[in-house]
Amino acid sequence: MRIKKLLVLGSLILLVLTFSLAFARGALGYYPLPLPRVRMLASWYLYTTLNPQYTNFTAMSPVAVAAIVWDYRGLDTLFETAVFFLAVVGALTLMRGVTLKSVLNNANNKDNNYGLSLISKTAARLLTPLIIAVSASIALHGHLTHGGGFQGGSAAAVAPLLVLVIFSVYFLLSRGISEKPMFMLWTAGLLGIYLTTLAAVFIGLLTGLNAYVFQNQPKFDAPVGLPAQISGTLISGSLFFLNIFEYLAVAGEFTLVFILLSMPEEVVKSFISGETYE
Amino acid sequence: MIELSTLTYLFMAMTGVVSLVATYLAILESNLIKAVVLSAIQSTTYVILFYLLMAPDIALVYIPVSVGLYPAAVLFLIKKTERTENDSNEVVASED
Amino acid sequence: MVRRMNELNTFLFNILLFSLFFNVGISLYGIFARPSLIKKIIALTIFSDTANVLAIIVGYRGWPSPEQPPIPPVITSTEPTSEDLIRFINRAVDPLPQALVLTAIVIGLAVTLFLIFLTLQVYRLYGTTDVRRVARLRG
Repeated sequence: MRIKKLLVLGSLILLVLTFSLAFARGALGYYPLPLPRVRMLASWYLYTTLNPQYTNFTAMSPVAVAAIVWDYRGLDTLFETAVFFLAVVGALTLMRGVTLKSVLNNANNKDNNYGLSLISKTAARLLTPLIIAVSASIALHGHLTHGGGFQGGSAAAVAPLLVLVIFSVYFLLSRGISEKPMFMLWTAGLLGIYLTTLAAVFIGLLTGLNAYVFQNQPKFDAPVGLPAQISGTLISGSLFFLNIFEYLAVAGEFTLVFILLSMPEEVVKSFISGETYE
Repeated sequence: MIELSTLTYLFMAMTGVVSLVATYLAILESNLIKAVVLSAIQSTTYVILFYLLMAPDIALVYIPVSVGLYPAAVLFLIKKTERTENDSNEVVASED
Repeated sequence: MVRRMNELNTFLFNILLFSLFFNVGISLYGIFARPSLIKKIIALTIFSDTANVLAIIVGYRGWPSPEQPPIPPVITSTEPTSEDLIRFINRAVDPLPQALVLTAIVIGLAVTLFLIFLTLQVYRLYGTTDVRRVARLRG
């Protein structure tokens, strides 16, 4: 069985090498390396991502990826966030009726009875604040260097996961990180994204000028826009706020899902079979 | 003398082959915990690929998602359900 | 000499491409043919990740010259001049596939978590994650 597996694997690798050699020698037509230039659209994005001369087109962010995610194709990302919301709501629907407060009361709540050894607990105590700090720095510098809301949010979700595995779900719940605060964090993030997309419209309404939804910098026919700099520091208009709110939303959602996923199965079963009610 | 570009493409080819091996072993492994670990190894090779393909943004989001959160979620699932994948047809057929 | 070097580079790059295509094939086999639902989830994530890597490869550019590697799409100064921008355009890779893949990875994790909860519910109701047994049981 094992030899058969290795034989199949070896022949797979051999097949890959043969195909590559055949294509490299031009046996099945000429397939060159990637070309040393980019498409016209990409060069336009690269040229205008931070270009003080083209004030009507630039996104005022040195990071082209963050500029595309939140400015050029911001609506795309907004609806991706909606898909994200629906997927997590679908997951939560399957756990409906399970409330964590009664779990906390039912369990004989002794922190030291659960979790891994003292060494791993000490290491986790040291690491968890560091992970939160690094993720916050990734999210807050998203408009200046690599990083942003999605990256920082998923990095921040590792910290409660570490606590869940090394301590226990009871430890996390007794420290106040339960489903209600995480739900509020998530909702605050989504609400913040919603308000930031409408910020330019509000400014336009107050000043009587033309403005668009999801507008970042001033455009040709819409002279209002969010400020690119605050007292000399580049914040790239709406990108900074959108990154922060996306960070809160992603971190809250993943933490909520992992808390529910790590619930002991007996507790959940008692809720589903209807023995426990809140 | 070997050129820098050739060296880069050589690293890409090596990570590609390692990811192929890891994928094959992960799909055929009947112990699901081992399968998750192999799939995490495969994700690590993809992180190296993202770095070599000049996409550090993707590498930043891919490390926590694919090496941290996703194996943890599947391991929680395996802990609550079944540990092994039943490969043979006879066992299922004999239950009728 | 240059032509031979180019051929070697193409060979190495094709190894990467074909490994990824074979990864797609193996993971599709895993999705369709393996009986365990958990194994299907693992195969599905491998499939989506491979698709993401292929999308990033579309945005990659070859080396502008043998000494200059391509650079990530980030300007290193906050007040660039026109010459800076021209040099940046001549070396940076395509940012658009990266922006699309960035959101796709996080959404993919959310959808995978939904599938994990569904599998958990299947196990609670049927007592198994083997699709052949689930198909046999009714109710």
